[in-house]
Amino acid sequence: MNKGIKINILDLIANMALFIYVFMINWFKRRKQEAKSYRTNEEWVESLSNPPDEDAVDDLRRYLIRGLKPALYKYVDRELDQFVEDVAQDALLKILDKIDTFRGESKFVSWAMKIAVREGLSELRRKKWQDISIGDLAGSDPEEEGSEINSEVFAIDDPGPDDTTHEKMMLKKVMGIIEEELSEKQKKAIMLLMVQGMPVTVVAEQMGVTRNALYKLVHDARLNLKKKMGAQGIDPEKMLKQL
Amino acid sequence: MKLSTDTLKNMIRAIKMTRPDEIGCDDCFDQLSEFAELKLAGKSPEKAMPLVQDHLNRCGDCREEFEALLEALKELKVGI
Repeated sequence: MNKGIKINILDLIANMALFIYVFMINWFKRRKQEAKSYRTNEEWVESLSNPPDEDAVDDLRRYLIRGLKPALYKYVDRELDQFVEDVAQDALLKILDKIDTFRGESKFVSWAMKIAVREGLSELRRKKWQDISIGDLAGSDPEEEGSEINSEVFAIDDPGPDDTTHEKMMLKKVMGIIEEELSEKQKKAIMLLMVQGMPVTVVAEQMGVTRNALYKLVHDARLNLKKKMGAQGIDPEKMLKQL
Repeated sequence: MKLSTDTLKNMIRAIKMTRPDEIGCDDCFDQLSEFAELKLAGKSPEKAMPLVQDHLNRCGDCREEFEALLEALKELKVGI
């Protein structure tokens, strides 16, 4: 009888030990999972800062892939999954590289997502325009010699017999202002962006400047033209109505 | 190469709309995720951040990226 009780007590102790062991294991697992839910910006930044936690990187990659699919599907003809995975990988490297510039003005995931979206769309723009270089566009008119973009680009449609009308005179004046006031670089940028309809990303890369610098270049050109047109009494509103 | 009337109109419109305080692509990008979150939360980011909205109206690349970002954040249910 005593022996039986003794065995039962030993069983009980063994069971209790097992229970405590399982409980502890689960508690640690749960704690680990909770720690990896990255609910706050601080948690994301901490786990992705040097050295980045592998699980956090995997989590972020999954987020990026999930967001990129609906963001890019209409631009990608085939193999969306593969493309999105490649973009997510490239974006991850950029995100980790510039994580110290995250200022917490939005959720971390939104911040990371915008980097990935820009990465993906830039790649698609490059692919779309990869076979067309600025030189090709400039030299696309067989009548034009060489690949330099010149003021001929800003000639107007049909400067024919009725070019003495008021609006034609105005247009000629505007073309004259463009010719005189803008640098060759500004003319080239405006031609590619506004006439050829090329994306800013592609033009900037082909001209060897940043996208921001290109925008500023064209902004300065527009501002200059606006001032000069005003000084010569040309009202853009009137011109638009007449065209 | 000659300019079509439509291109000319676009150019003149762009000149007419030019303002000295426009922000560039970098400043727009810096504020884009916050702008997108406000938009998805049904707030009016164009009122709080008018220069970002102004840049998006002018810059096709940034506008495309903003629209794609909205789709991504909707999927991730961020800002809602």
